[in-house]
Amino acid sequence: MTDAIEYSGLSKTYGRGKDALTAVRPTTLSVPWGQVIGLLGPNGAGKTTIIKMTAGLITATAGGVRIGGHDIRRDRAEAVRLIGAVLEGSRNVYWPMSAWENLMYFGRLKGLRGAEIRPRAQWLLAELGLWERRHQLVGGFSRGMQQKVAVAAALITDPQILLLDEPTLGLDVEAARTFKDWIARLARDEGKTIVLTTHQLQVAQELSDRIAVIREGEIIADLPTAELLARHAENRFEVRLDAPLDGLRASIPDGATVSEDGIETRIVLPDADTRALYGFLDRLSDTGAPLTAVAKAQPSLEEIFIRLVHDELDEERTS
Amino acid sequence: MTTAATPVGATGTPSQTYLWANEVAKGLRLAKRRWGMAVVGIGMNALFYVGVNFFIGGGRIVTELMILTLPALLAATIASTLAIEGSGGIAEEINGGTLEQAQLSAASATTDVLGRVTALALQGLAATAVLGIAFIAIFGLHYEPHPSAIVPALLIVLDAMGYGLVVIAMTVRVASIGAITHVFNMVILFFGGTIVPIAIFPDAVEAAVRLVPTAVGVQALNTTLAGEPLAAAWADGTLPLLLAHTAVFITVGLAAYSRNLRRAKREGGVGPR
Repeated sequence: MTDAIEYSGLSKTYGRGKDALTAVRPTTLSVPWGQVIGLLGPNGAGKTTIIKMTAGLITATAGGVRIGGHDIRRDRAEAVRLIGAVLEGSRNVYWPMSAWENLMYFGRLKGLRGAEIRPRAQWLLAELGLWERRHQLVGGFSRGMQQKVAVAAALITDPQILLLDEPTLGLDVEAARTFKDWIARLARDEGKTIVLTTHQLQVAQELSDRIAVIREGEIIADLPTAELLARHAENRFEVRLDAPLDGLRASIPDGATVSEDGIETRIVLPDADTRALYGFLDRLSDTGAPLTAVAKAQPSLEEIFIRLVHDELDEERTS
Repeated sequence: MTTAATPVGATGTPSQTYLWANEVAKGLRLAKRRWGMAVVGIGMNALFYVGVNFFIGGGRIVTELMILTLPALLAATIASTLAIEGSGGIAEEINGGTLEQAQLSAASATTDVLGRVTALALQGLAATAVLGIAFIAIFGLHYEPHPSAIVPALLIVLDAMGYGLVVIAMTVRVASIGAITHVFNMVILFFGGTIVPIAIFPDAVEAAVRLVPTAVGVQALNTTLAGEPLAAAWADGTLPLLLAHTAVFITVGLAAYSRNLRRAKREGGVGPR
């Protein structure tokens, strides 16, 4: 069985000669059916270019993309029927049309008949809390509601593959959470294959089965999320005190980092063994410091991401 | 979560006719929501037209001249609707990102753009019908058209669609197309027979302005509106030239749109600029 998405030597260079800019260096990877892959990278890393090449909206300079075994260029009609997309920096749907009209249009655009579209449109709009406002123009909606219509339009044909480029960009906390829950449901309950780009690394960590980190058009890490976290796991402990540090500074082991917010103090002991931890706790005990938590802490995806992107860059500069 | 509709994979590849009709329906829906701007533009052209006629008549409306020039105003109305609304619409879709979404379809570039111009042509025809009936009723104009007048009339619409296609294709490539479109429309309004019939221009000028969209079509239409058969328009060379003009504009417009779309995808897509 073919994979959902296959990139073979995919690359993109804009312009020619001296002005040439390589947005994506030759990339070969496959995304199996049902996998959620998070594409992470700083601005300008090439994430959106990869997403758009996947959808056939940008033509690759070299290499190719296959969607469910269909070449996106030679067999575009078959390939795009498998895709739903919410693109970054885009309205994605027609603001002068109602939510209902948009769903009918995008459903027909993919070849569905009205009778096939209506029940799914009804279900999607109800699920997203837009049913009562289905006949209102999308231009009058809030940003979160507009984005919900964009997602509904992407899902109207029940595509197996979703390309979500910064789907929570510009959304408030509540709308972003609704989206995150929705994406999780699509992956978990419907087995959708999802390519997700986001700068909210916590969201990527929670949703993605696999993480690919891109820097300057090159994939510098591509691992299952758990493995990526495990590889960068550290033997470090976090100690929290319900008080400012004040007179306790002398007790802090070498190499520890301290953060204070005036109420709570957070001390992280990197590369610490349990003996060092016990020693530190003994010293705290002697001073009667109000201890609130002791935990084994792991670096978040955000810390790993920053380390990957910046450390490699520093290494390159040094060499 | 359950799936409430048949997955798209269960249906066959949609026909291009179906996708074209979907595009036309969308275009008409959008036109309905933007009718205000179109009405203002058409109204301004109509006022300009009446003013020029009044000026030429030395303070009175010259209905004999209006009978000859009204078809040109109506043709210019269709052409400007196609160019302005077509250019503005595609620019808005590029900047809004909906043109990219519309690409995620089995519709070919030709189907997509033909759907757009068909909707615009229908919008232009609706405006023309209102304008034509109003002028005939208000100024008491009288025509005795030959039944075959329908042929040049239809060809004028197709010619205007070809012009619209060219402008839309240019908009995909050139971001600031508004000023260029405005100049094109002024040329049609001034030299397409709206002020005076182009037959009274010097021969060299007449030969040149026949290349202006809709101009030669208006000449052929005026022949049949005067009760002459289609053969007369063929014999004076206006009908063959209209056919050729229409065919060239539609062919060039379709080819340019497809080419510019491909080029845009090579250079970074047709998304927000």
